Amino acid sequence: MNPMMNDEQFFDLAMKAIARQTTDAERSELDALLASQPELRQEFERLAADARVAKIALPLMDAMEATAGELPAYVRGRLQTKVRQTLGRPAAKQELNPSLAWGWRWVLGLAAATAVIVLVALPTFRAPSGPVVQVAMLDTVGAVRGAETNETKILTQQWKNSTVQSFDQTGPLENWETNWPTGGKMTAKVIYDRAAGEVRVLLHKGNKSQQKTFVIEQDLATTLQRASDFIRAQAE
Amino acid sequence: MNPPDLHALQRGDEAAWDAAFGWLWPTVFAVAQLKLQPFLPDEVEDMAIEALEQLVDKVRSVKSVEELKPLAASIAHHRAVSLLRERFAQKRGAGKTESLDVPVDDGETKYEPAWEDSPLDSLAEKELAARLQTSLAELKPPQGEILSDFFLHGLRYEEIAKKRGVAVGSVGVYLKRGLEAIRKIWSRDENN
Repeated sequence: MNPMMNDEQFFDLAMKAIARQTTDAERSELDALLASQPELRQEFERLAADARVAKIALPLMDAMEATAGELPAYVRGRLQTKVRQTLGRPAAKQELNPSLAWGWRWVLGLAAATAVIVLVALPTFRAPSGPVVQVAMLDTVGAVRGAETNETKILTQQWKNSTVQSFDQTGPLENWETNWPTGGKMTAKVIYDRAAGEVRVLLHKGNKSQQKTFVIEQDLATTLQRASDFIRAQAE
Repeated sequence: MNPPDLHALQRGDEAAWDAAFGWLWPTVFAVAQLKLQPFLPDEVEDMAIEALEQLVDKVRSVKSVEELKPLAASIAHHRAVSLLRERFAQKRGAGKTESLDVPVDDGETKYEPAWEDSPLDSLAEKELAARLQTSLAELKPPQGEILSDFFLHGLRYEEIAKKRGVAVGSVGVYLKRGLEAIRKIWSRDENN
């Protein structure tokens, strides 16, 4: 380094160059330094990369603190419909009528007794075949890291009899999610949401549905195993 | 406006969602505007609405209410990038990638996207959300403001010192610490 130039001065000069604020003389001085000292060239490139990330991340951080602007009135209905479709209506808070409560206790008692009988009798019957499992992958961002093929392989390894449907938009996926086969057999739909880093399981039997989300904490294969265990437990 | 009650949101409580939509709207709209305004201004509002709809899908996997805004911003970012990719691919032919970040008006590259990917685009939604949340927490004032003044608004050291009431000699120190924090947060391996 120029013997007269310390780290701070180099940093300030580099910042000015990255922000295109240098004079011709400063730019020449920096170019000479970078040409003569490869370690400074490396540091300059790191600072330029950091600055690039900062330029992209800072506006997003500003956006998280934005308070201006109101939700347009016409949007509310559409969003509330989405809430009802996705999360259902919350249970109404009301006191149970005492006679109804007793009625429910009888029903529950009978259900428990039936369950015991079924459990005792079950081994005498042949075990039913497992549920139908349909598998899909949602990748709205695009396979930027070329990992899509491997992930499809992991999905097909977990459910060998299933083909993996690929979606790059949520609209067609939503159609697929609501398209259930007829008949009384349990069907499971497994959706690997690549961008969200999660696996959703939708279960459907008759007119009953159930949903569970598995966040990918370790790796895809482990998460799929958890999803598979869940489906098996529900089917049993 | 106060943050909404996460448990009420996860139960599908209508009033809680009304409050949440109002609270999150400025964020998703600002992100959609940031990404789409220069290229697809007519899509900004729709994109903000779709980001909120997608957030409804994800709310059951959220663990604390503090995650909601970063997640909403991340969803809006990814959706906007995805839309831009799609439109640019249609316009210029498939197979090319380019940065879809709003170009800096430096007199040379105005509205001409640079031909490379943004390092943030490859992060999964939750990862991007987590890093945004960490960045907000770790960039202590006035580090974030000074980074913005310098990199986004093109102010010089002297102008920043005057605006923020700090010594000119401190501006570089704030920039250095701010960039070090950014490097620490954003250069982590994605799987860590």
